[in-house]
Amino acid sequence: MARHRDEYDDEMDPDEEEEYEPDQAIDEDDEEEEEEERGGGRQRSGQKRRRSDFIDDVAEEDDDEEEEEDYEDDEPYGGGGASRKRKNKRPSGSQFLDIEAEVDTDEEEEDEEGEDDFIADNAPDVPEDEDGRRMRHRPLMPQEDEQEDFEEIAKSIQARYAKSSHTEYDEDTTDVDQQALLPSVRDPKLWMVKCAIGREREVAVCLMQKYIDKPELQIRSVIALDHLKNYVYVEADKEAHVREACKGLRNIFGQKIMLVPIREMTDVLSVESKAIDLSRDTWVRMKTGTYKGDLAQVADVDNVRQRVTVKLIPRIDLQALANKMDGREVVRTKAFVPPPRLLNIEEARELHILGERKQDRMTGDYYQTINGMMFKDGFLYKAVSIKSISTQNIHPTFDELEKFRKPSENGDGDIASLSTLFSNRKKGHFLKGDAVIVVKGDLKNLKGWVEKVEEETVHIRPEMKELPRTLAINGKELCKYFEPGNHVKVVSGTQEGATGMVVKVEQHVLIILSDVTKEHIRVFADDVVESSEVTSGITRIGAYELHDLVLLDNNSFGVIIRVESEAFQVLKGVPDRPEVALVKLREVKCKIEKSFPVEVKYKHKVSVKDVVRVIDGPCEGKQGPVQHIYRGVLFIFDRHHLEHAGFICVKSHNCALVGGSRASGDRNGNSNSRYDHLRTPPRVPQSPNRFSRGGPPSNYGGRNRGGRGHDGLVGTTVKIRQGAYKGYRGRVVEVKGPNVRVELESQMKLCSSDTSRYGMGSETPMHPSRTPLHPYMTPMRDAGATPIHDGMRTPMRDRAWNPYAPMSPARDNWEEGNPASWGASPQYQPGSPPSRAYEAPTPGSGWANTPGGNYSEAGTPRDSSSGYANAPSPYLPSTPGGQPMTPNSASYLPGTPGGQPMTPGTGGLDMLSPVIGGDSEGPWFLPDILVNVRNSGEETTGVVREVLPDGSCRVAIGSGGNGETIVALPNEMEAVVPKKSDKIKIMGGSLRGATGKLIGVDGTDGIVKVDDTLDVKILDLAILSKLAQS
Amino acid sequence: MFFHIVLERNMQLHPRHFGRNLRENLVSKLMKDVEGTCSGQHGFVVAITGIENIGKGMIRDGTGFVSFPMKYQCVVFRPFKGEILEAVVTMVNKMGFFAEAGPVQIFVSNHLIPDDMEFQTGDMPNYTTSDGSVKIQKDSEVRLKIIGTRVDATEIFCIGTIKDDFLGVINDPTTA
Repeated sequence: MARHRDEYDDEMDPDEEEEYEPDQAIDEDDEEEEEEERGGGRQRSGQKRRRSDFIDDVAEEDDDEEEEEDYEDDEPYGGGGASRKRKNKRPSGSQFLDIEAEVDTDEEEEDEEGEDDFIADNAPDVPEDEDGRRMRHRPLMPQEDEQEDFEEIAKSIQARYAKSSHTEYDEDTTDVDQQALLPSVRDPKLWMVKCAIGREREVAVCLMQKYIDKPELQIRSVIALDHLKNYVYVEADKEAHVREACKGLRNIFGQKIMLVPIREMTDVLSVESKAIDLSRDTWVRMKTGTYKGDLAQVADVDNVRQRVTVKLIPRIDLQALANKMDGREVVRTKAFVPPPRLLNIEEARELHILGERKQDRMTGDYYQTINGMMFKDGFLYKAVSIKSISTQNIHPTFDELEKFRKPSENGDGDIASLSTLFSNRKKGHFLKGDAVIVVKGDLKNLKGWVEKVEEETVHIRPEMKELPRTLAINGKELCKYFEPGNHVKVVSGTQEGATGMVVKVEQHVLIILSDVTKEHIRVFADDVVESSEVTSGITRIGAYELHDLVLLDNNSFGVIIRVESEAFQVLKGVPDRPEVALVKLREVKCKIEKSFPVEVKYKHKVSVKDVVRVIDGPCEGKQGPVQHIYRGVLFIFDRHHLEHAGFICVKSHNCALVGGSRASGDRNGNSNSRYDHLRTPPRVPQSPNRFSRGGPPSNYGGRNRGGRGHDGLVGTTVKIRQGAYKGYRGRVVEVKGPNVRVELESQMKLCSSDTSRYGMGSETPMHPSRTPLHPYMTPMRDAGATPIHDGMRTPMRDRAWNPYAPMSPARDNWEEGNPASWGASPQYQPGSPPSRAYEAPTPGSGWANTPGGNYSEAGTPRDSSSGYANAPSPYLPSTPGGQPMTPNSASYLPGTPGGQPMTPGTGGLDMLSPVIGGDSEGPWFLPDILVNVRNSGEETTGVVREVLPDGSCRVAIGSGGNGETIVALPNEMEAVVPKKSDKIKIMGGSLRGATGKLIGVDGTDGIVKVDDTLDVKILDLAILSKLAQS
Repeated sequence: MFFHIVLERNMQLHPRHFGRNLRENLVSKLMKDVEGTCSGQHGFVVAITGIENIGKGMIRDGTGFVSFPMKYQCVVFRPFKGEILEAVVTMVNKMGFFAEAGPVQIFVSNHLIPDDMEFQTGDMPNYTTSDGSVKIQKDSEVRLKIIGTRVDATEIFCIGTIKDDFLGVINDPTTA
């Protein structure tokens, strides 16, 4: 009944107004009337509807005598107005009959359009009046006579004209006609007037009343729109007229009157094309308040009051509620929004929150009412305005749906809720070729393939042969179709990017077995496309990527095994017991890049990428490549291990190496020390060269990544000095045994090169390591190096670059066993170091004074690199350390068996001592140690007999030292790595020169019993060298 | 499904193998290289059964390696969608179970296990019917139908179902 009342109220307005019309008609001039007419046409739909309501009332409420009386009176005006326009088409129809006919068709219309009839309630008043004005005299008389057979006539008319009125409105109106009806500049304008909220209609009625009372008002119409609060529209020619009309009205705030631009005038009165389709169980989102953004389900819709009852997951702070109900002070913190949680009545009761149990009158359901809020099954039922919810493009996530589903576990709700969900879910885009299934309508369950997509309509090629070639179907009625076994990729939603195989199809929901995690994922069919790609979805947040080893806040560490939207799943580095933690980005301290080789069972050493097998502990039998090593814990990736993304965390000693280690020659000898020269520099940071000569600093990678082991060379820039690519510069991408793969700078290609064929850019790799130990050499080096960069200013540069000078002579020198260039170089004379040292600070002069020949050959990069060219493996471990130390050891050490490098009286060498003693631990040669000499590819064992001042050694071939004696450059030699219980000589550190016995090996450390002191020391194996048996 | 087909491959042979046994070396190297590998098109190469033809060797510039085009017969195993296979269960978890049929790993999701079988946790996780008459656990032999395959460069992974007539356990290690 409420609805009826409303309508009735509205109808009252025009009635009253019309009564006074005749008086006003006089004021209007013809032209205006014409325009009005046009306006009337445009507003006709609203007008019709209104009138139909009115007639409706008459039909149903015959007993309401008084009202009826009024209605009867008024009818002719309105009816006449409308019918006049139609006259040319239906000249024979009597006035009254016309009305009836129209009324009836309108009734039908109304049925379809539902509650739209409110929208233009007041709008058509004035135009209608104007039309009616002219017609009023004619229809006044017959109305009373006709009253009895009102209904009968209505029927006959309906039968006769039902069609014609439809055609008239729906089909005959072309775009041009419509255009002609649009308001122009000469039409009265619409003004927006502010009024009290909720009083819009009242204001309209008041204005109308005022118009009736004071016909001199020059406003044409008043429009109150239901969807526009706080404003009414007034149609008038001038703002002054509006002001005049508004004067003295309580609810109008007339200060501000805004003109509605002509273009927007039609919008004011146009009826919203499609009413929001709100039905029960539709998913919506709250727009405002505490629940802003929350998903809600429509429980009931009251179209008349524009309110809906929604079901929400309550966000209630029970404690606060309890306090409030007890009358205690409630501290309102605005920032705090309680998390959504289903209400637990028991819990509420404990807090003495007592609710009443009430039965809903309409549905008969019982609700628990607490503090004015209604609860059922833990959900909050809340009546809200339709405007405060958004209904478009609602994409409930699975999590949200799960929560809503909880109370009804029976599973029926599952399907129901999910299917309703799709009624207003925005569909994913269909693409040509997609397999689809019809989910609604007559063709339900028809499968087909998308042929063409046109906005809403999708043309599909049906699976059934008998059907037409293509069918046009609304996109909303289609759903993508997948079969179990399809390989798909998720293209939107929370699981975006993941791929997997469809395991099960539950209506719109697919269950997918993820390729990477081998877990089930539930996704909407619309979010998925077929794909053969294999990915895991997002794989990184910030700087951390899937499978990275990370250090966490509490100093624990682990491997990222899954990247979620805002957090990582980390397999903690706790051996033997898989521990997975969910870690937020901020809880990750850093990525652990380096991993040192570590010893596993049987004293094998493994580094990253080596394949190991777990031979002990719970994960026994698992096998796979080592991915990370940290603190003695290995992270192994076993492809067949299905948990934790295939990662297994084990203690290193529970593993055994399978196959050979990648880092060949895993003991300190080869792999580690081969690049020792690249690692030593960090220990000698005082070298001036480092900075003056850095070259392309970033390229000197090995230096910075000291501990990287076998890939220390990777990333450095080198220059190839032999072979087809001679002279090319490039970046090392990979080191493979004696070969490196170099990415050439000048050509976009990779080439393999023997290590002996390249040097580091224009500087030789030995510089950085060599110089620091030879402080007095530094300036010379500088001088030597600078010219290169400056463009060969010094004469010896010239020489060095001479084609005949650099390569071959040096080689010859060496091959003849006569390293004249080294030995003869005065700078290297053991006796002269002090003076060198003094000369050092003035590089320029030092250079100038020196006899060019030796220098150019000995000191220039060219020369030293020529040494490299000879040496099969320039990266012999001993190279850097050994060479520079040589003079030192040669001159002092033999005499000081205690190995004190800081021999008093060494003068210039004093400055050198700290370097030796403290920082540089790299191996350098001493007499009597056993070395492997590499000479043009062959390796022979020899005993160092004498260390020459320039760093090269006189080596007696043969392990007993009884073969011929050759002179070998340090970079061609490599100390023989001692084994357990070998006699050794310490080549570095404070005990340099001391002999001892290796009593054990622990990782890279050797346990040494020093002969002299009988102390047991733990020393790096790299500085231990096997002593020749004498 | 198994196929006996002829495949081709270019074999690179190190010069040190040149000599009287060149051919034997080639074949043994081919076997080492090819048997057990997997290609998306042909599936797993199970065994080489014969050599059809060895072409002329071409010396590769710069390396000294010689490449021989070889044609060989081999038995390949490739799973197909819809194929019925017998497989051995290797792992059971709550999401389903993994089974292996030779080199192929097959996952049977719990959605594709008959509804009356329920997952039971324990040291020996298994799927058991309500009356306990049928049990799927590690080392059980099952007959399953492949409903989907994913072919990577180095492996073929399948999804199977036992939710169909005549599928399921065919041999139970505990009862046998």
